[in-house]
Amino acid sequence: MNPVLALDAVDHVFAGGSAGLRGCTLSLERGMRHALLGANGAGKTTLLQHLNGLLRPSAGTLHRDGKPFDYSRAGLAELRRRVGLVFQNPDRQLFSAQVEEDVSFGPLNLGLDVITVRTRVAAALEAVGLQDHGGRAVHHLSFGQKKRVCIAGVLAMEPEVLLLDEPMAGLDAPMQQELAALLDRLSARGVTVLLSTHDVDFAYRWADRLHLMAQGRVIASGPAQQVARNDAALHAAGQRAPAALALHALLAERGVLASDLTPRSIDALLDALRTTQPEESIT
Amino acid sequence: MLIETAAYASRWRPVAPTAKALFALCGIGAAWIAHSPAVLAALAGLLALTALLIARVPLSTYAAMAIGPIGFLLLSCLAMLAGVDGQGHWGWHGASPELVARTALRSLSVLAALLGLVLTTPLPDLIHLLRRVRTPELLLDLMVLCYRMLFVLRQAWDDGVQAQRARLGYRGFAHAWRSMGLLAGQMAVQVWQRASALQMAADARGYSGALRFLPAVFPQARAQNLRAALAGALLLALAIGDRLS
Repeated sequence: MNPVLALDAVDHVFAGGSAGLRGCTLSLERGMRHALLGANGAGKTTLLQHLNGLLRPSAGTLHRDGKPFDYSRAGLAELRRRVGLVFQNPDRQLFSAQVEEDVSFGPLNLGLDVITVRTRVAAALEAVGLQDHGGRAVHHLSFGQKKRVCIAGVLAMEPEVLLLDEPMAGLDAPMQQELAALLDRLSARGVTVLLSTHDVDFAYRWADRLHLMAQGRVIASGPAQQVARNDAALHAAGQRAPAALALHALLAERGVLASDLTPRSIDALLDALRTTQPEESIT
Repeated sequence: MLIETAAYASRWRPVAPTAKALFALCGIGAAWIAHSPAVLAALAGLLALTALLIARVPLSTYAAMAIGPIGFLLLSCLAMLAGVDGQGHWGWHGASPELVARTALRSLSVLAALLGLVLTTPLPDLIHLLRRVRTPELLLDLMVLCYRMLFVLRQAWDDGVQAQRARLGYRGFAHAWRSMGLLAGQMAVQVWQRASALQMAADARGYSGALRFLPAVFPQARAQNLRAALAGALLLALAIGDRLS
């Protein structure tokens, strides 16, 4: 399948001389849920900013639908229409006073008429569950609500690819679940989602594809079940094995569960345990 | 912050800003036209009561906002009555008490009209209003960014003070000054970082040189403007009647 976005041996050197990316290669298949895992400083944010055209590679090339990125004014406008980026800290992304105003910023920049923009703003706010908050002041919102406004601001541009920089950071468990459900809905609509995270359990549970980063390059990439079993790559990316996978391996080794099961979460593992009849009791 | 909170909590929050501005403008016009201290006092009272009783601005907020300008006004009135003359001698200036009363009451009326507007209209609505009357875009963009950054930096400042306080940064006068200085220096770096982050966030959403936002909609604006015009006309009629009598 032709990837929607791809990096080919991309290097990026910051103005201070430090390297952000070093020979980074990555392909994102269309319509899939992708998770980018790596330690702090691995280059996750730098990679996301390259995909939205905010940063340009020092060497190597990026492709969208098989064609090299066009960094002309019109090319960048088109790229940003199709590839939306949600930043980690909402206070650094929201600059309008009112929720509705801020969400309308992107679509108005696309040159759409006011009626279309209003429709898109309403749909985006509904998608993130903030349809009743359009007239509220941004500074009166909670952190989680601000984060959702940021996502709505990008959704209103109707991108094909949604990039999210550590979207779960700072959110409590129910909010994380809500956000995961929202991302699932977007994915079901055909939007390709790539998010960066430190949470290997969430990434393994949610993503179709995992990409591990270390020292500015992608060191492992592929289906989640496959990459999550690559202990060496996980270790190099500063991650541990997903808890569900490690626990299942132990239970399978002890004969409690079948070894061919692939539970993606602790909840799925518990469900599997509940449906398994104990053959002998352990004292 | 107090003005902002009052404006968002006001009963007149959903009223079209054009209607509120029209009423305030009529109030200012009436204060300008009216002549007798009694009518000027009535105008000030009417405008203040409208804000307090109809728009439901809390009395404490209203008083807190009014006390500064009223203090300034009192000082000005005293300066009209007495002060230093050309030869450096203290004495009465000889301004008539009626003139002083008229000036003070006219200023109070104008103050009441303006407070009625700003304590019921959040700044984003005022910016919409300014946009409608063709205020230069650059000025409005600056207002939008300053307004938003005010809250972001206030939050950053409060967080910084709290973090310093947790490590005894405000224990004693000297410590407090040092902590405040350190924080102010750090805020300068934050301002620079946030400015560049905002630029990046705007670029990511297709920013092309102008900050464009969706105009707010007030479905009952026509009826509200009409009511504001009628109420404003009553104030003006009162003032004109006073001037002609």
